[in-house]
Amino acid sequence: MFTNDFTLTKRHLGGLLLVIGGLAFTAILSIDLLDAGREGGIGPAQQIALISSALVALLGLTLIPLGSRPA
Amino acid sequence: MNTAAHAPTPRWLTALHRLLMASALLLLMFHLAVYIGYAVNLMRFPFDYDQGEGFELVDTMLFSQGQWPYRDTEAFPFYSSNYPPLFHIVAAPFVWVFGAAYWYGRLLGFLGTLVTASAIAYAVYREGRNRPIALIAGLAFLASNTVYHIGPLFRQHASMVMFETLAVVLLANANEITDRKQRRRRLALGFGFILAAGYTKQLALITAVAAGIFLFIRQPRRALVWGIGAGIVGAAIFGWMTLATGGEWWRQAILANVNELRIVQTVALFNQWFGLHGFLIVPAVLLAIYELYFDRLSIYTLWFVFAVIVNGAASGTWGGGDSYFTTAIAALCILSGIFASRTLRGGWHFPANYLTRWLINPLRRAAPLLAQAALVIVPLLYLGYGRAVLHMPTDGEIFGALSQALGLHPNALNGFYDSARTADGQYATGYANIGHWTTEADIEAGWKISNLIRASDQPAISEDAGFSLMAGRPAITNPTQLLNLDKKGLYKGDELVRMIEAREFGLIVLRAQFYPDRVLQAISRRYDQFDTVTMNGFNYLLLHPKPE
Repeated sequence: MFTNDFTLTKRHLGGLLLVIGGLAFTAILSIDLLDAGREGGIGPAQQIALISSALVALLGLTLIPLGSRPA
Repeated sequence: MNTAAHAPTPRWLTALHRLLMASALLLLMFHLAVYIGYAVNLMRFPFDYDQGEGFELVDTMLFSQGQWPYRDTEAFPFYSSNYPPLFHIVAAPFVWVFGAAYWYGRLLGFLGTLVTASAIAYAVYREGRNRPIALIAGLAFLASNTVYHIGPLFRQHASMVMFETLAVVLLANANEITDRKQRRRRLALGFGFILAAGYTKQLALITAVAAGIFLFIRQPRRALVWGIGAGIVGAAIFGWMTLATGGEWWRQAILANVNELRIVQTVALFNQWFGLHGFLIVPAVLLAIYELYFDRLSIYTLWFVFAVIVNGAASGTWGGGDSYFTTAIAALCILSGIFASRTLRGGWHFPANYLTRWLINPLRRAAPLLAQAALVIVPLLYLGYGRAVLHMPTDGEIFGALSQALGLHPNALNGFYDSARTADGQYATGYANIGHWTTEADIEAGWKISNLIRASDQPAISEDAGFSLMAGRPAITNPTQLLNLDKKGLYKGDELVRMIEAREFGLIVLRAQFYPDRVLQAISRRYDQFDTVTMNGFNYLLLHPKPE
C-alpha cells in the first residue's frame, strides 16, 4: 500500500465506504440503544445522519463490482 | 460513447449554438458589470455595510500596530476577534498608509473573487480546452447572488475561497507531474495555499480534508508524507499563536466559534442554494457520478462533496449563512464547466462495467442526437443560470429602464431586485440582507452617528465599529463575540456591566442587539433611547444615560 505506484481501486474505495457507512449507521443507532433513558426517540438530525450513512454504505456496495479500475 | 465521431452538425445548429453562447456570455458579462458597480459603490461607503465588517478593520489596525486581536474580553475595551489572522495581516500595510478605512479591505475581497474566477476559468480550460466555456464558468462564479453580496466586503471569506480554489487547482494534476522537483514544488505550493486558507478562515478545513483524501486515493504514501508535513507546520503555527496570546487564540477563535446548528436554517439555505444554482448543480453532480463509476475521482468532485455536505450543514449555525456555500459554488462552477466542455467536444468514454451495460448501451443509438442537442442545452443551462441568479438595481437611468423592460420590481433595500427573494422581499433564514447599493443619504446618516460619538466627552459603545473608528475613537466591545462566548459559558461580563450601570459610556449605538442578555438588561436599566437613525435600511438606536 505504501509503494510509489500503489493507487486505490474502485473495489478498495467501495469497501471503505461500505465499512464507514455501516459503522456510522451502527454508531448513530447505538445512541438510542445505549442511552435508554433519553426521551424523544430518533430526532430529525439523527434521521438525516442515519439516512446519509446508509447511502454511503450503499454507494460503497455499488462500487465493489467495478473491481480493480483505479478510483 | 464518443459523440464527436457522429453525423456532421447542420450549419443552422452551429449558428444557433453560437448565438446562444454569445447570449449566455453577454448575460454573465452584465452580471459582472453589476458586480463591479456594487464593489465601487461599497468602496466609497465609509461605514459598516455588513454586520461585523468594522471589527475586521479593528483586527487589521491591531495587526498594523503589532498587536494580537485575540484578547481578554473581561477587561476594557472588552474586545476580541474570533477570526484567524491572515486576511488582516495582508490588509495591515494599508493602515500604515491610509489609516482606518474600509475601501482597501473591500478591494482585497473583490480582487480575491476575481482571482478565484480566473482560477476556475483556468481549471475548466485546462480540462476541456474550450475558451468560451472556461470564460463563462469563471463569470458564473461572480454572477452568483452569494458571491456578489459577500465579495466586496471587508471580510475574510472571499480570500479564504480564493486560497482554497488556488490550492485545489494546483493539486488537481500534481500526481501526474513526472519531474520530481516540479511535482514537489507544486505540492508544496498547494499545501501552502491550504494553510493560507485555514489561517484566513476556519471553514477551509474541508478543503484540507478533501485534498488529503484525493491524494490518498491516488497515492497513499505521498498523501501521508505531505499530509503529516503540512499538519506539523499548521500545528506549529497554531501552538505558537496560542502561547503568544496567552491562550486567547484558542479560547476566542476555536472554543467560542463552535455554535449550535439550527436545522431549519440549514434546510432553508439548501433549498435556496439549489433554487439559484440548480442549472449548474445538475451537470456538476452528473460529472461527479461519471467520475465515480466510469473514470477517476477528481479533486474537484471530492472538494464539491465536502463543501456541500459539511459547509452546507454548517450554514445553519449561529453566525453561518449563505456565504458558507461559496466554496461549493466555486467547485460547482469548475465541475459544470468541465461537464459542458466535455459534452461539446464529445469526450465521454464509458468503460465496460455493469452500469454501462444497463444504462449507457441502450442509449448509444441516440448518441448523435444527444450530441446535437447538447449544442443547444449547454448554453441554455448558462442562460437559465444567468436568469436564476439575476440581481440588479432598479433605479437610475440605465437600470431603471432595464428593470422596467424586464418587469422587475424592487424587492430589497434602496431600490434593488434580488432573485433570491420573493416579490415581497422575503428571503431564506440566514440569507444575508445585503446586496443593495448605498446612497448619499446613507453616508450622511453614518456621519450623523459618528459625529455624535465624536462630540461625546465619555467613551461610546457602538454595535458597528465604523462609527467609532471614523470619529477617531477606539472600538469598545465586539458584541457577536461576547455573545459567542456567553453561549459557551465563557463570558462573565462583570466589568462591562459595572461600567454600564455606572453610566460611564456617553452614548450607546445598537443595531441588532447581539449582546449577551445580561449586558442588554443593564443597558435597558441605565440608558434611554433618544433617537433612531436609519442607514442602509437598518435602524440604529441611539441611547444616552438616564438621569441619576
